[in-house]
Amino acid sequence: MQKSDYRNMWVYIEHDGVTAAPVGLELCCELRKLCDTTGDRLYAVILGELPAAEVEKVKACGIDGIIYVSGTGYEYFNTDAYANAFTVLSRKYLPSAIFVGGTINGRDFAPRFAVQLETGCTSDAMQLEYDPATGDIQFIEPAVGGKIMAVITVPVLRPQVGTIRPGTFKYAPAGKKEEIEEIREEISFDPEAIRCRHIDFIPDEVDPEMDIANADCIICVGNGLKDAEHLERYRTLARLLGGKIGCTRPLYDRGILPYKLQIGQSGVMVKTKLYLSFGVSGAVNHTAGVDTDVFVAVDKNPDAQIFNYCDYGIVGDMDEVCDEMIDQLRAAGRA
Amino acid sequence: MATYNRITPEIAQQLRAVVGERRFFAGEDIDPNYSHDEMPIYGKYMPDAAVDVETTEEVSEIMKICSANKIPVTCRGAGTGLVGGCVPLAGGLVLCTRRMNRILEYDMDNLVVRIQPGVLLKDLAADALTHGLMYPPDPGEKTATVGGNISTNAGGMRAVKYGVTRDYVLALTVVLADGRIIELGKSVCKTSSGYSLLHLMIGSEGTLGIITEMTMKLIPNPVCDISCLVPFRDVESCIHFVPKIKMANLDRQSIEFMDADIVTSSAAFTGNPIFPETVNNEDVGASVLVTFVGSDEDELDQKLIRLGKIAEEAGALDVLVVATTATKKAAWSARSSFLTAIEADTKLIDEMDVVVPVDKIPAFLIYIRRLGEEGGIRIRNFGHAGDGNLHIYCCSNDLEEEEFKKRVKIIMDKAYAKCAELEGQVSGEHSIGHAKMVYLKESVGEDVFRLMGEIKKVFDPDHILNPGKVCDESLAG
Amino acid sequence: MLNILVCVKQIPDIDLVRMDPETGNLVRAGVPTLTNPLDLNALEAAVQVKEKYGGEITLITMGPPMAESTLRECLSVGGDKAVLISGRPFGGADTLSTSYSIVKAADMEGQFDLIFCGKESQDGATGQMASQLAERFDASQISCCCSIDEIADGKIRATRTLESGKEIVEATLPCLITVEKDNFYGRLPNLKAYLASKKAEITTYTENNIDGLDPEKIGVPGSGTIVPKIYPPELPEPGQIIRTGSPKTDVDELLKLLAEKDAI
Repeated sequence: MQKSDYRNMWVYIEHDGVTAAPVGLELCCELRKLCDTTGDRLYAVILGELPAAEVEKVKACGIDGIIYVSGTGYEYFNTDAYANAFTVLSRKYLPSAIFVGGTINGRDFAPRFAVQLETGCTSDAMQLEYDPATGDIQFIEPAVGGKIMAVITVPVLRPQVGTIRPGTFKYAPAGKKEEIEEIREEISFDPEAIRCRHIDFIPDEVDPEMDIANADCIICVGNGLKDAEHLERYRTLARLLGGKIGCTRPLYDRGILPYKLQIGQSGVMVKTKLYLSFGVSGAVNHTAGVDTDVFVAVDKNPDAQIFNYCDYGIVGDMDEVCDEMIDQLRAAGRA
Repeated sequence: MATYNRITPEIAQQLRAVVGERRFFAGEDIDPNYSHDEMPIYGKYMPDAAVDVETTEEVSEIMKICSANKIPVTCRGAGTGLVGGCVPLAGGLVLCTRRMNRILEYDMDNLVVRIQPGVLLKDLAADALTHGLMYPPDPGEKTATVGGNISTNAGGMRAVKYGVTRDYVLALTVVLADGRIIELGKSVCKTSSGYSLLHLMIGSEGTLGIITEMTMKLIPNPVCDISCLVPFRDVESCIHFVPKIKMANLDRQSIEFMDADIVTSSAAFTGNPIFPETVNNEDVGASVLVTFVGSDEDELDQKLIRLGKIAEEAGALDVLVVATTATKKAAWSARSSFLTAIEADTKLIDEMDVVVPVDKIPAFLIYIRRLGEEGGIRIRNFGHAGDGNLHIYCCSNDLEEEEFKKRVKIIMDKAYAKCAELEGQVSGEHSIGHAKMVYLKESVGEDVFRLMGEIKKVFDPDHILNPGKVCDESLAG
Repeated sequence: MLNILVCVKQIPDIDLVRMDPETGNLVRAGVPTLTNPLDLNALEAAVQVKEKYGGEITLITMGPPMAESTLRECLSVGGDKAVLISGRPFGGADTLSTSYSIVKAADMEGQFDLIFCGKESQDGATGQMASQLAERFDASQISCCCSIDEIADGKIRATRTLESGKEIVEATLPCLITVEKDNFYGRLPNLKAYLASKKAEITTYTENNIDGLDPEKIGVPGSGTIVPKIYPPELPEPGQIIRTGSPKTDVDELLKLLAEKDAI
């Protein structure tokens, strides 16, 4: 096997038959830049039927081509057919890299076809670089709970497979190219051979308090929180500011708040106008999940890393500062 | 009845001059939390002013001003008390030690540490560990200040092996009511040198002086420890097991008691169901959590086998082992959450912290439960089974506050009478404050109570130190 | 009777791992180890299945000899047999080669109907192992399972937690399952099991006694990925720290600044 035989990069476009999941588009936008450096062509891979208007959205992200896969087995996500499709395609077209959105299903099947192809797989990169000396992509990601950044490469094998969490990269479409190559493949997977079959889907009841991904203002409470009893004041502050409560991983691990409120790379990626963190130390895994216009940090440790990410910081007891904010906001007429 | 002066603008100016503009608060600038501790049911009282002190000298200057002007001074740490001890009943000044939170110096040759009173218990415990040492007292409230622990002689879970806070105080720097600074005790473990004013100061709840620095005894961190949860069908068989543990020579560090109700509340509150509600398909009525130490794993295993044997004889449903760091953390954080778990689903709460002889625990708990049923009050309890110290909470979500207080008063009166009948004590570790004063008087009797009052007068003739607390009836009538 | 395999991993307490600022290496010496918490949830799920349907649970791990303590811990809470894969040539493996080694060793112990794994390890946190093991076991897979609803006639019906709801799936055995922690909270061992686990025999495999093991596919040579470099996270320049002397005035100043920015 020669690495140079493998060319071009692919992005898997996850969809539910109606809309394309944002993560696929985000990846196309980011990889457009990488491909411009490496000289690779960028292809979107769509399994099953996706409405034309959605395909247009994908095209607008600066891709060079689309691989449409039709056939049986793609009506609903299943590991077997989806992994098989990528294995078959990859053996035929020899891509240099395949990127898959790190959703629950993306993380389910991507490592599986990586093994079918006997190649290297990485997950959760936050940054992608190209090393012209080796021709390898550098997948850069936080490790050991965010204490270090690790550069990971696939030095010998191809394709290089990576799953990337939704929200890691910005959706900033470069525009539709004049010529977009269209490749159509029929890869049918016998529905009877699907070993784990979809039976039913029960959507979660929508609880607006749990939907923090689109909140304008978030009060994020970190491991500095003494115990659940001390949480109430932050809810009050959130109410006064018209915001929602979020947390960092330790609070989920401590059972104080649910997973859906965990902000960061392995939880929810948020985009807010105002973000206030209380008792958050500022591990990269967390801050990577925060995109905000104004960032305020409160922590008792003056050396906490969080102060490197904030616009404004207060060093002090988190509860005390929160209470003070509540008092002053109320005094200013907020209720 | 004692009379006091208000803090006039002139006095305020003098106080401000001592601590500076930023650590002096008056009027609306005072933290409203200063009007209560964790038991707001005993009433809220705002001071005229509050100061955050940082040094012994500042405290001394402040006491000089306050004694000259007859201003009451109530010392406050983290405000985690449960008997209204830090509440300024007579207004005046609240003197807060939270900024005196430095660990000053370890003496590794004598295994002592010198600290300021505002150091939090959890911070001292964690910091000592980094030196390979243990601060043995282990009250449930880890965010209390050590100064507060000394003022209340807090006990905690490990008291059954290591004793209480009192046993770890070697020396104190104290500011007296008139501002004089005195040193009590020395960094040595033995003394036979006159009356122990050191021990008088410990547990005096800020009524005799203000503690501004302390030297605490530490011990080498035990090499290994292990905990066992021993579940029983009912409270009686569970409690009868306790003396048997004590007899088994396990070198036990703590013996904690929990009944089914508190386990359910805690699991719901923490999302951490580490303590099982059923074992081998039988409902658990009550459990004890036993911790013991040893010099190596083999020794612990031998002790485990012994514990297993006596547990079986005592009719335990099983013996569950808490051996890994993760399960220990989960078990102790669940145990430490009990009070918070009760508070979380309760609007009105009152508590008692009695100590009864260990063999009287079942009788007392059964009695209390009946009082609760008769009085229409929900009772929650847990406690340190090893030393008979029980935390009993009267709870309600639907009663009006006045009605609640009325019903609780009836229960408390009867409960303390029962406690006395069983040869118990009013408070094991939460102290007296103002909430338990009447019960203290009843419990110790007129003579002893009057002696306490006389001692108070020697230290504080004008009753300016934390008036209305422990044995000070100067606000009454 | 179901033959169940549970894959577990011993990890360092990542809160205590630090980077040596001089050498840029991770300092693991003296850092306490623990069993990957999510693996204990996986084990609990397996134990619940065993209790309901009958079966035998084999535990497997790869690591240094000290990883035995993790196996013993798992034996005490429901495991029946334990397998340790240990040896220098296995070191430095990524998920591609670790999954190969584990499946090869597991094959020595027979065929498994169900394989349980934690969703990810706290230290590596790639979350790739389970899918890769499933592929190598030629098994179906159910990831993020929150309840196991029925096992009958060579099939398992279970519920998965997805981003926006629950998916009910049906899979054929053999099947590999990763579980959500909330519904499979681990239990405490009872005394008898605890003491027995200390004396239990542990089957150890090395590079020399696994049938058909290709030395090129284990350890570093078998890995698809390498980590050529680690470095401390680059921090942005600190923001403006408000230091006016008291929380009250700090907050006052902050609210003023936020109002100026139209943020509140």
